[in-house]
Amino acid sequence: MAKKLGKKARKFARKNLQSAAKRNRKIRNQINYRRPRRGGSAAREDGDEDVPQRVDDATMATNDATDALINGLEFSEDDAEIDAGLSDSDGYLSEDPGCPYYSDSEDGDTVKDCIMQDGLDRQNDDINIDIKKQKKKLKKLLDKDPEFANFLEKWQTELKNYRSKEDSDEDGMDSMDDDDVSNDGNSPNTKMLTSKTISEWCLLVSKEPKSPALRNLLNAFRDACQYGVHSDSPSMQRFQSTRVFYQIITFVLTESDNIFRALLEISDDANKGQIMNLRNSKKWQTVDPLLKSYLRNSLELLSQLTDNKILAFVLTRLRASAVLFSAYPSTSSRLLKILFRLWASGNQSLSLSAFLMIREVASLLPDSLGLCLTKAYNTYLAGTKLVNDRNTKHIDFLMNCLVELYSLDVQKSCERVVTSMVQLNSILRQASKTREKEDLRKIDNWQYINCVNLWVRFICCNYKDYNLNPLFSQVLQVIRGVAHLFPGSRYLPLRLKLAQMLNELSACSQMFFPIPSLLFDCLEIREVSQKEETQKTKVNFSSMLKVPKNLLKSRYFQEECVLSAIQVLSAHFAQWSYHVSFPEIATIPLMLLKRLHEQTTIEVLHRPIKRLIDQVNENKEFIERKREVVSFSPNDKASVDSFLQEEKNSGNASFKRFYSSIAENHQAKGKMVKPIPKTQHYRQLLISKGVTPLCGCREKNYQVLM
Amino acid sequence: MGKRSGSKSKDKNKVILPPLLPPDVDDDDVHISDEDLDFYGGKKNFAARFHQFDQKVIDRYVGRTAGDEAEVERLYEEREKRKASRRPQEEDGDLEVDPVDALPVKTLQGELVYNRAKKARYEENTGSLKSKAQENGADAKQSMKKDELKGKSKSKKGDDKVKNTQSQIEAPKGKLHSDVLEEVKEELSAEELFEKKKAQLAELGMAMLEDPEANIRSLNDMLSISNDKDQKVVKLGLMSLLAVFKDIIPSYRIRQLTEKELAVEVSKEVKKTRYYEYTLIRCYKAYLQKLISLEKQSHFYPVAVRCMCALLDTAPHFNFRESLLASVVKNLNSSDDVVRKMCCETIKSIFINEGKHRGEATIEAVRLIADHVKLNDCQLHPDSIEVFLSLRFDEDIREDETEEQKMKPKKNKRWQNQEAPKQLPVSDKKKTRQELISKAREEVDADLRAVSFTLGPKERKSIQRETLSALFETYFRILKHTMSISNSRSKANIVSPGASHPLLAPCLEGLGKFSHLIDLDFMGELIACLKKLSGYSDRQDEIPHDNTLSVSERMQCCIVAFKVWRSNLEALNVDLQDFFVQLYNLILEYRPDRDRGEVLAEALKTLLWEGKQQDMLRAAAFIKRLATFALSFGSAEAIAALVTLKHLLQKNSKCRNMLENDSGGGSLSCLVAKYNPEAKDPYLSGALASVLWELSLLEKHYDISVSSMASNILSMASLNPTQNPVPILNVNPLEAYRDLSIERELSKPPSKALSLNIKKKRRGKEFVALSPDVLQKADCSVDKDELEEKLQSHFAVLRGISENERLRAELNHTLSSINMYKEYKKQKKKNLKLKIVKKKLARV
Repeated sequence: MAKKLGKKARKFARKNLQSAAKRNRKIRNQINYRRPRRGGSAAREDGDEDVPQRVDDATMATNDATDALINGLEFSEDDAEIDAGLSDSDGYLSEDPGCPYYSDSEDGDTVKDCIMQDGLDRQNDDINIDIKKQKKKLKKLLDKDPEFANFLEKWQTELKNYRSKEDSDEDGMDSMDDDDVSNDGNSPNTKMLTSKTISEWCLLVSKEPKSPALRNLLNAFRDACQYGVHSDSPSMQRFQSTRVFYQIITFVLTESDNIFRALLEISDDANKGQIMNLRNSKKWQTVDPLLKSYLRNSLELLSQLTDNKILAFVLTRLRASAVLFSAYPSTSSRLLKILFRLWASGNQSLSLSAFLMIREVASLLPDSLGLCLTKAYNTYLAGTKLVNDRNTKHIDFLMNCLVELYSLDVQKSCERVVTSMVQLNSILRQASKTREKEDLRKIDNWQYINCVNLWVRFICCNYKDYNLNPLFSQVLQVIRGVAHLFPGSRYLPLRLKLAQMLNELSACSQMFFPIPSLLFDCLEIREVSQKEETQKTKVNFSSMLKVPKNLLKSRYFQEECVLSAIQVLSAHFAQWSYHVSFPEIATIPLMLLKRLHEQTTIEVLHRPIKRLIDQVNENKEFIERKREVVSFSPNDKASVDSFLQEEKNSGNASFKRFYSSIAENHQAKGKMVKPIPKTQHYRQLLISKGVTPLCGCREKNYQVLM
Repeated sequence: MGKRSGSKSKDKNKVILPPLLPPDVDDDDVHISDEDLDFYGGKKNFAARFHQFDQKVIDRYVGRTAGDEAEVERLYEEREKRKASRRPQEEDGDLEVDPVDALPVKTLQGELVYNRAKKARYEENTGSLKSKAQENGADAKQSMKKDELKGKSKSKKGDDKVKNTQSQIEAPKGKLHSDVLEEVKEELSAEELFEKKKAQLAELGMAMLEDPEANIRSLNDMLSISNDKDQKVVKLGLMSLLAVFKDIIPSYRIRQLTEKELAVEVSKEVKKTRYYEYTLIRCYKAYLQKLISLEKQSHFYPVAVRCMCALLDTAPHFNFRESLLASVVKNLNSSDDVVRKMCCETIKSIFINEGKHRGEATIEAVRLIADHVKLNDCQLHPDSIEVFLSLRFDEDIREDETEEQKMKPKKNKRWQNQEAPKQLPVSDKKKTRQELISKAREEVDADLRAVSFTLGPKERKSIQRETLSALFETYFRILKHTMSISNSRSKANIVSPGASHPLLAPCLEGLGKFSHLIDLDFMGELIACLKKLSGYSDRQDEIPHDNTLSVSERMQCCIVAFKVWRSNLEALNVDLQDFFVQLYNLILEYRPDRDRGEVLAEALKTLLWEGKQQDMLRAAAFIKRLATFALSFGSAEAIAALVTLKHLLQKNSKCRNMLENDSGGGSLSCLVAKYNPEAKDPYLSGALASVLWELSLLEKHYDISVSSMASNILSMASLNPTQNPVPILNVNPLEAYRDLSIERELSKPPSKALSLNIKKKRRGKEFVALSPDVLQKADCSVDKDELEEKLQSHFAVLRGISENERLRAELNHTLSSINMYKEYKKQKKKNLKLKIVKKKLARV
């Protein structure tokens, strides 16, 4: 009982506490650091063994052991990049003394007002009062006994010595910490920054990028980025107003890309090669420290910020200068790490901008592509361990991102895809050989299914442009095998998912897949438990693979079953709705549907079933009418292919419309987000904008469907 | 008393301690120590010498029951008596070297220990006279042996304890005092006793194998050992007895001697043999009785059954086979998978190796199973019927039977008519000579048979015939039972298929296999029965669900009917049309993963593929249905359907019109002008009017073999009716199904490393998976004001934090400074005191 309660409480915490999201991100970040370094693939198995375990512990997400089962799926990562170059100096730039500093007295007064009155401030005030009190007390003591002052002084010097010793000890351990200001050789400027100063600098820099004010500005940017990292650093004192802070950060972020490009005299579409060539030039020597400082401090800012919107803003700005990262491999790897953390986070716009940045980096810096692919895949696997109603959309998004990334360089990514496919296949073989619970559980979990789904989508996107046949057959084998290994109505959600994948594959490859064979179980009537459940347990197939036993006989489960089956089946029909043999495709499913319609006791289902039957019948009669007048025979391939091609391209068939309405219905309910309905949406959007769609397989996809 | 902590449990204590033990046992300090468990584990090595000992059995051994003292006492008395009687014999046996001694035992430490057990036993026996408690043995030599054992366990037990024990064991060497004896008894912990008994068993067993004739009486000893209270010992005893019996059971059946024979004076040799046989049979009987009684106890169950199976397997000809068979047959229905499998294997081996027992055991077993089925009302595990599949019959047995029956009356007549006059001319002399010759021949034959252990063809035939009738009786009983159940079931009550008729599937399989042996008289009834079971009914409007049999079972019925019909040279005049109708509808009821695809493929093979000439209308209906079927089902089912379809098209060239789209629905007019896919009757479906459009879609099938098969079939359209296309897949539907089934595919070794040959083709920057409306969201930059506000708040938070930190530090500093004041005062006082003291000192 206690355990159950605990689980519930944790669930509540996860759902309702805002801090949870933050914490999750933090934890994810930690995991990246914690990942044990591995010598080779041999050590991978045990290395991975404990990583997911830790995730479980950390997020307290679940006690379910199944989640930790697939560890072998992940790619091994070379983590050599992690600590490289982190101990570089943080890029304090010596300033040109000629630059003006303006002191503006009016700023100082406004400081207090600008700061929001939050809990911390009140606490600070309290402490302030306390300090005053205590100081008074101390003073009294000192007055009373002047000798005590001596004693105190002695003690304080002792304390200082002791502390500095301790500090140096810690320094030894914290050598990774690159923000150790005290060790920096040239002492940073501690002059106050005022709004006026910044404006002046900005003006100077915008006029002439080469002006020395740039250094000052970048220094200020550096301090702004590191603001709050070391509370006792002198740079803290430079900011007295929030306005200054804002000014510096926005200006540097928005303008620096243009400035650097102007300084280096490179065009907008410069690639890595050009940058590398530049590195030896004299021009580079002068810009190098500035650029380094800018990039490093932007990263610092990224890791400091917590607000999603600002993060997205910073990322969009930074994306413009992605190519500049190529000069600093260590910095770019650090960037990627931050990016992947942000990408996996739940916020949509943030993870989208993070992904766009990743993609930019991956496409501009071919060296980092491999790392990107591996990291993205592993992040995806870690993120898809748990699927619930809320994150299905996000997982779908992550999957699409991954496909995007892997499609950048299909040749390179195919190696990885093949490795992953071989892993999936061997897990399947093992399970089919032993049929043991443990082995089966390696398949019956989200990681495996999401992984299969990922590659299905990858193949769909690239099938037309590349020869992916071996992969295609492997994926098919896995899908068939999984469907075979998990019979019975308990696994209907899983099989529906497989059927959807087959639909996708069928749409992209124009091959025929007997989808109905996977759906028969949905269309057969089962006994409905007589007693009405008091609590309405909503069954949502998009977030489950296996139906809990207590729901098997429930009405909702059967409703969901039939509705999902109708959806998948109509997608199948929609694809072949213009084929000459449509009436035959529909024969057997139609018989089952009719029987179901007659026998089902669930009122809600009558209408959708009837609608599908009517639509199919209509289309069937239409095809039959059309084909009665043609004269070619089934063996005349060309004629069969051209049959009703015109109608098909006009995209105006009733069945298509029916299908899209079903799909939209489904989407509106917040259920499965499928790529096919999305393309519908996509096309509508494009048409409404008067844009011709991009060429690519998406387009073919919907051409087939429309 | 602390030493006793080494004993395994208090129950065990009770067992090993002789009844005489004073009841001052302190149960509190009895516990199972880890060392003991280790010790047991470590003994595996030692036990390995007795290959026949089942390690598993020992390992499985968990608890032990408390023994009642009366039993123990009785045992001791028995033993004592027996040993006393053997004493004189053993005394001289002591002088010669025991054969067992030749084989040393390797101990855990790796040192070779020569077996002085024989002597020890003798000593033990002498000791037994002195005290009832001799069981634990206090003799010097035995204690030496014990010392060794102790030494072995020394490393595991506390050293001090062992020393203590040793001193106590050595003590009784000189004086045999009763007090000391008792202590020694206590020292003997259970494992030592166990080791001792194990050694004893091994010894006896070895002796038995060495010279069964001389040592036959050791069987009694072994039997009594296996009466031990210690379950482990009992199991070991059973297993070693099994090994011994397996070895010494003669290849003939021991006959009970008649009174007359007993009365006759016989030579010493014969006497000895008789005695040997008598003892053997007596012990064997006792052993079997023991097994049968132990079988009822759950912890001995697997062992007992294993022993019985092994005995039955090795000596199906020997005495008491009947009881063995009965037990084994009963256990065919065991819920324990291992036991059931064992029994099945045994029965199968009896069926297969008929040479061992001349087929007598076969008939007995079949009869027993038949009775069993009858008694349990057909509710048994399918395995119990499945064993029948390994029965073997001579091909000609039925024919002969019928022939003989026909011939007999004729023969008799001829005999009466012809033989009588022929016999007349033969002279008496000749007659006697002939008789003599024939008599001699018969005798020789009999001898030969007795030696070669084979049956005459006639006897063999009669046994087989009896077996067959028992077999079919069982099968028919199951069929009838199924019928009665499915008839009594109401329509509403849909039970999960297969659950109520566990025996039907193997029964149908068996009928299919032995279909050629079924008597013609039964045929009609059988076919009618099968028809009913296959779900056929005259009323066409009935929904197919009211049959309680699963689809696979109904298909099997169809298959069996056809097999029966075909194996009787198709001479049977039965209308199998209904079965075609049934299959035609069953095809649609088939569900992958629920029903067995292989049965479907076999049905297609038996009914359609193997058939000779098909009715055109029917063939057309099946062709159309199979094509439609292939569109909705997986690739394995699809290929099976297509193979059948192709075969049908080849056989019925007129149906090839369906491949072509002639306006007006084909040249062949039929009753129904329009195709109705939902028709229940193939004759009324109007399939001939349809066009096989399915094939054009099947050409696009993802599975290469399906699509190529489809195009292969389509190519038939252009050929003339007598021509056939180039065969691409020359297999029957069943093979085709198996080739494509996912299980087969997965069991194949994984294809060699995937090699993707992808041309370098860098994609542009366009997106492939993410839709633009998603991408659009990314570009909507943050509002300036909002950004400012957010950045400011970020700044404020950071500032607040750092301020807080700073202030706290300051506060702490101030506070500690104030605290220091106390210390300062203390020090001051101390200094003051010190000064005062110093001053005082200085003063002094």
